[in-house]
Amino acid sequence: MAVIAQVINASKEFKSGDSVIVALKPSSMDLETGKVTLILGPSGSGKTTLLSLIGCVIYPTSGEVIIDGVSTRDLSANKMAKIRLNKIGFVFQQFNLLAPLSAEQNIMLPLTLLGVPDGEARERVKTALQKVNMSHRAKSLPKMLSGGEQQRIAIARALVTDPPIMLCDEPTASLDTNSAHVVMEELKLLAAEGKAVAIVTHDMRLKPYADEIVYVEGGQISKTEINQPI
Amino acid sequence: MLKYAWQFMKYDKAKSLGIVIGIVISIFLIGQQTGIFLFLTNAMKALVTNSQADLWVVDSKTINANALGKLDIRKLKELESIPGVARAFPVVVSGGTARFDDGTTAGIQLIGTDAPSFRVGLSSKKIIGGSLEAMLEDGAVSADYFDRNSLGGAKLGTSFEINGKKAFIAVQTSGVRGFGGIFMFTTIEKARYFGNIPNTNMSAVLIDVVPGTDPRAVKDLINKTLFGVRAWSSKDFAASTVTFLLGNSGIGFSIGSLIVFALIAGFFIIGLTMYSAALDRIRDYGTLKGIGASNGYIIRLILLQAFLFSLVGFVLGYAFIELFRWGVGKAGTVFSYSPAIIATFFLITLIISLGGAAFAIRRIVSLEPASVFRG
Repeated sequence: MAVIAQVINASKEFKSGDSVIVALKPSSMDLETGKVTLILGPSGSGKTTLLSLIGCVIYPTSGEVIIDGVSTRDLSANKMAKIRLNKIGFVFQQFNLLAPLSAEQNIMLPLTLLGVPDGEARERVKTALQKVNMSHRAKSLPKMLSGGEQQRIAIARALVTDPPIMLCDEPTASLDTNSAHVVMEELKLLAAEGKAVAIVTHDMRLKPYADEIVYVEGGQISKTEINQPI
Repeated sequence: MLKYAWQFMKYDKAKSLGIVIGIVISIFLIGQQTGIFLFLTNAMKALVTNSQADLWVVDSKTINANALGKLDIRKLKELESIPGVARAFPVVVSGGTARFDDGTTAGIQLIGTDAPSFRVGLSSKKIIGGSLEAMLEDGAVSADYFDRNSLGGAKLGTSFEINGKKAFIAVQTSGVRGFGGIFMFTTIEKARYFGNIPNTNMSAVLIDVVPGTDPRAVKDLINKTLFGVRAWSSKDFAASTVTFLLGNSGIGFSIGSLIVFALIAGFFIIGLTMYSAALDRIRDYGTLKGIGASNGYIIRLILLQAFLFSLVGFVLGYAFIELFRWGVGKAGTVFSYSPAIIATFFLITLIISLGGAAFAIRRIVSLEPASVFRG
């Protein structure tokens, strides 16, 4: 296990007219490979802001975020996009599959953005589909898939570039218990293969899957505990 | 990327159809107005463009081929004496009224030139019936096929009266039509006879220069040497005629403003529909940004869709334009688009589509990648 992402005293403030909203007070945490880290907290606690900082979609107001040895503080928007593309796989609450594209085209998308040659990309898409047991739905449009199936395709899209970090925002919130279990097992498997998996949720049912739990309350990390996963 | 762009277009069929229809309407209106404009300007300069001569010599005050002044017949000899002039052909233009057996009357413009060469209006390419030999007979004139409705259905051989004098149609042309009145070509003598033009007058002189001589030099020499006349190259005289008529008729402004409005309407229909389509797909574009697509990639994706829309819209729009051209051509409104004009139509389609895409691009570029975490 190695530290792949570090949040060092990072805070985030948003301006709204004349007032300043503190979304995250100075907080620190590490994300390690080979672990499932659960970021738990109620709505509005700042957990998604924390995930957004690690996900390189926002810049910290103060402090620093380091991804695989690179500080994001002074990076341009395009360089941040490159880090997201190369280092991070995203899984979203609403799946965020591109509606006009089929399942396999959705999975192929990050590879296209990376410029992976077509033949190689097809092979990697095939492997990713097999990994989430969705080969039989490769040609389906997202609207033809159930919530659980869409989330598995989203996981396949996130892992197809083999990123060291997987960031998941409420990945089970739109799923029934069985589908949630399947998805969590897949995420656990990815951690076992050496990825750092961070999951933002307020669903306490996911605790048993975590190696580490970070509690976020009132815009800051309140405590971190090591968990004994199932 | 081409595949993704095509998938995005196919997915939102209603909006895509709206964009294509916007392009088709816009390009059709532009093509239609341009066609009418071409027809009218061709008609304005028809007398000049349907003549065979290196130079036209007219009264010094004349700038419009459809309103030729009077020239003294002696100028013909003077012109023939200018170095570089090989031959000079007089042209007599007179007005008249044609009256047909069924009671139809029509204002006509008689154009007389030397037989048997008939340097104006009667080139073999334009003749669809009759022969130049028949034009030598008494009362023989030509009429254009597309003027037949204005001439009481007159066809080859039809007898009628011009200014009360007996005439008949000896030659039928196709697509030699005037801007103001109906052209009838004949010999110079018959033009004088029908129009009561004295032998001492003529309307213009066509000049052939000596082979190997620069027509511009001969033109300059005529303008420098002879008083009261002005020599023009056929091209310049045609251009002067069109400029004069456009400037004095409001046709240019009228058609130009319609084209501009078609452009503006197309631009906003396409722009707003593309913007609306982009808003519908805002989550998809946000996801693209979230997973690492650069603004450049997304801009290219939207522009590629705009390009594909313009291709489809242009093909359909141009098909409708050709259908229109064919339809009005059957009624005598004959014109054709040069490759440069067709290329311009496509360029306009591209500008409308890519310009319209700017609305969508502006919105998507301002989208924050963090929006993917906002449910």
